[in-house]
Amino acid sequence: MNFDDIKNEWNAETPEGSNISTDMLKIKQAHTPIDKIRGKMKHEFFYQIFFLVLMAFVPYFFGFSSAMNQVFLMFYAITCGFTAYYFFKFYLFYKNSYDMSLDTRKNILWFFYEMKLNIELYKALTYIVAFIGVAFIAIYLFIEKASIFNKILAKLSSVYILLNCFITILIIGVITELWAWYYYGKYLKQVKKVVDELDYE
Amino acid sequence: MKETENIFLTLINQHKAIIHKISKMYMNGAEEQRDLFQEIVLQLWKAYPTFKGNSKFTTWMYRVSLNTALIYFKKDNRKVDKTPLDENIDVIDINESAEREEKLAYLYTAVQELNVIEKALIFLFLENQSHREIAENLGISEINARVKLNRTKEKLQSIIKKNGYEF
Repeated sequence: MNFDDIKNEWNAETPEGSNISTDMLKIKQAHTPIDKIRGKMKHEFFYQIFFLVLMAFVPYFFGFSSAMNQVFLMFYAITCGFTAYYFFKFYLFYKNSYDMSLDTRKNILWFFYEMKLNIELYKALTYIVAFIGVAFIAIYLFIEKASIFNKILAKLSSVYILLNCFITILIIGVITELWAWYYYGKYLKQVKKVVDELDYE
Repeated sequence: MKETENIFLTLINQHKAIIHKISKMYMNGAEEQRDLFQEIVLQLWKAYPTFKGNSKFTTWMYRVSLNTALIYFKKDNRKVDKTPLDENIDVIDINESAEREEKLAYLYTAVQELNVIEKALIFLFLENQSHREIAENLGISEINARVKLNRTKEKLQSIIKKNGYEF
């Protein structure tokens, strides 16, 4: 194969086609992995807001005692605080524009680390909210269902209780990791593949 | 704004062959090529404010177009369109010789077996970029660019040979 020859053929190829028009510049949705992640995070933001609003009515649905109401308010405030903090971070990620005119290495590494950082933030928020939820359920059982719960606990050994706590943490961890991977992992994997191909000596 | 838009459109229409060729190298199938073509145009437009005129417009265009193709994520649930290459995007000039068409068609088919970085290397090489320019565009050392390009050329040759074509 003569590359000089093919180069000449390549340079002689002049795609005609119709001209690029203004309409093509009006397309809103881009398809870089980061745009995809941003789009999904935007959806999650609305689900999270809906969930938080719904949570505010939990005391009415379950008819909490005044002590439990106070505990609930404390947990609710902590959840809202954490969510607000992380959503501010995600908002910055959403608004942070990228520069496609950098050289490929800089560009691809920017994409990779920006995506990785935000997926880790997303996982951290999920862990925090899940643990707050588990802690709240435990306190609820201790306060509102004390007699039944204490009876159950009395029948169980400390090792068994510890083992259960450990398994609960493990399940939360596995679900969070799998969810983040399923939802966002494929985009990160694609960019990581390009980084590896670029680094391959 | 309208004036900027017009200048931009004039410039990319002058060099739209770059976008066509990258789309054909990176996507196999007419519809996917059209999607990538649109995406590149969109990213070029979004990045246009970063073009300060310090380099040639084509240099800037190579970078943005290749960076877009490298990380482009195909639209979900899209069936792969296996339209023959010569029916893809209105690319082939009817006056071109049949031999050239055939050669380029084999080249585009073979290129599909390369990874995204190898495609970028071959593209920049075919666009007459020097080793230094290739290195600058990809953000790697000149020696690395030379080594990678030589390996990619060998790989491409063996793919073309394997596919039963020689030129």
